[in-house]
Amino acid sequence: MRKRLWNNNWLIGLLLAALVVLPFVSNSKFLLSMLISVFIMAVYGMSYDLLLGYTGIVSFGHAIFFGAGAYSVGILLTRMEDPSLLWAALLIAVVIAALVGLVIGLLSLRVKDVYFSMITLAFAELFFIFAEKFSDFTGGTDGITYIRVPAFFNDRLNFYFAALAFLVLIYLFLRRVVNSPLGRTLQAIRENEQRVESLGYNVLAYKLVSIILSGVVAALAGGMWAVLQKYVNTSVLGLDQTINALLMTIIGGVGTLLGAVLGAGVITFAQEWLSSIFDRWFMIFGVLYIVIVMFFPRGIIGTIRDQLQSGKRGAGRDGASQDQRGQSVL
Amino acid sequence: MSLTLNLLLNGVALGALIFLIAVGLSLIFGLMGVMNFAHGAIFIWGAYVGWAVFGATGSFWLGALAGTVAGLIIGFLMERFFIRPFYSNHIGQILLTLGLMIVLIEALKLLFGPNILGFDKPESLTGVITVLDDPFPIYRLFLIGIGLLVLLCTHYLLTRTKTGMIIRAGVQDPEMVQALGINVRRVFSWVFAAGAALAAFGGVMSGPSFGSIHPELGMLNQLNAFIVIVIGGIGNHVGAALGALLVGIMQTFMGYYVPDVALAVNVALMALVLIVRPQGIFGARR
Repeated sequence: MRKRLWNNNWLIGLLLAALVVLPFVSNSKFLLSMLISVFIMAVYGMSYDLLLGYTGIVSFGHAIFFGAGAYSVGILLTRMEDPSLLWAALLIAVVIAALVGLVIGLLSLRVKDVYFSMITLAFAELFFIFAEKFSDFTGGTDGITYIRVPAFFNDRLNFYFAALAFLVLIYLFLRRVVNSPLGRTLQAIRENEQRVESLGYNVLAYKLVSIILSGVVAALAGGMWAVLQKYVNTSVLGLDQTINALLMTIIGGVGTLLGAVLGAGVITFAQEWLSSIFDRWFMIFGVLYIVIVMFFPRGIIGTIRDQLQSGKRGAGRDGASQDQRGQSVL
Repeated sequence: MSLTLNLLLNGVALGALIFLIAVGLSLIFGLMGVMNFAHGAIFIWGAYVGWAVFGATGSFWLGALAGTVAGLIIGFLMERFFIRPFYSNHIGQILLTLGLMIVLIEALKLLFGPNILGFDKPESLTGVITVLDDPFPIYRLFLIGIGLLVLLCTHYLLTRTKTGMIIRAGVQDPEMVQALGINVRRVFSWVFAAGAALAAFGGVMSGPSFGSIHPELGMLNQLNAFIVIVIGGIGNHVGAALGALLVGIMQTFMGYYVPDVALAVNVALMALVLIVRPQGIFGARR
């Protein structure tokens, strides 16, 4: 229904075309590097959106998966001394993320809402401590430096297109997921968990799948991040890393996937710009975030979509149900 | 005094400190069902305001008062302008209060700087006292006393007074209490503010105990406080006290014998409680 109301495929296509052409018209190394970070962070943000926007659960432990991916790649590439084994490292990262997601999900999903959030936060803290303590393995607070990456990624242009392709593939994959019966069930759980349960669905299993899927995607993003930065330290596991995902998704628009991409762009560029003029730039994000949570719970993309829809069709029944949806998400 | 007893006493003191932070959270979260993710931020605001007033006036007690009042004001404003539209919306509460946490912590760094500040003990509570032939810091003993006092006051207020009755009834059935002519909203506003004030008070008390304060302490202690109320049973202040005691003692012993995993013990304990008894050790089934 929503697709027919406002099809944004052409807009995505246009944006994508612009991004493909961009490296050939601009030779700003700075811009390319920034965009590579945006693409990777956007994947991380989208993975969080699957949890927050589509399943309606607030995890404060998402950094665990990002960090697991980053550390897997960092540790394996350093130990194996053969950078071309990146694919194997990413595969291992995926397996680890899936296992961690399963265990954490099983433990935390015994409780709901706030309890879930706090418990995932506690687990994140646990992983953070482990990363600091097992310094033989993780390099402690210094982290792992000088990760040797495949030669392919040393070329900025190559990396740019690889990251862009990574973003597009994951976007298509996640869009397929959210529009599949699985994704529909997740959205139904977000709307009314009890009803879904009384219809005979195993809510716990669905939530677990959601956690594992989003964890795996976040781990991939973390792995790519390690390749980009060429070092990994405990900051990839910190609360700030989770808050980043939260900010990207909320500011861009929850439950839209694209919102996370936009959010990643806004945050990466705004951060670069704000940090040069104001020391406590993070406060501005905090304020913006509060304003959005309070007054525009559907984020930038969601709000624009609502506006376009109500402009086309007036405040009809669809508009009303959209409003309700927005409120039940937040 | 044997080592075990010494560790035990230290553990009790740490437990009292954690309880001071947790009791406010237990009030707001356990009774009202509002998740205040900015609880740790209010806690550390209390510590900083207390530090500033203590430094300016030289009186620790004035500092404690100022910190507590600061917490009361922050809590009151927060409830009035931010939390109110989100009472029935749990996810909204989490997201909103997380934003408030960010802003409060950043504002703190803006005002006082992000660095570590030394927090001295007040003159009258410095030094050691002899317990069973061994020295024990007076301040820790003082913390145990304060923790007990707060527990008794909270318990008395909630179970033996009319206000406490209204609060408990308001939690059970707000509409009925409203129908009886009591302004439940206003009562809840004050419970929220009181919870925030308790957090800030805990912040001031913890300052001299840690010896120094920095903004990141807020989140760390909030996590501890949450772990404690999950272990103790949500909405049960006595449970929170026992949970705090358990965590405090365990952390002290582990810190002495196996320091590497001391910090992880809390989380492991909480995971265990959640597996075996999700409602908390002393909690009723929810």
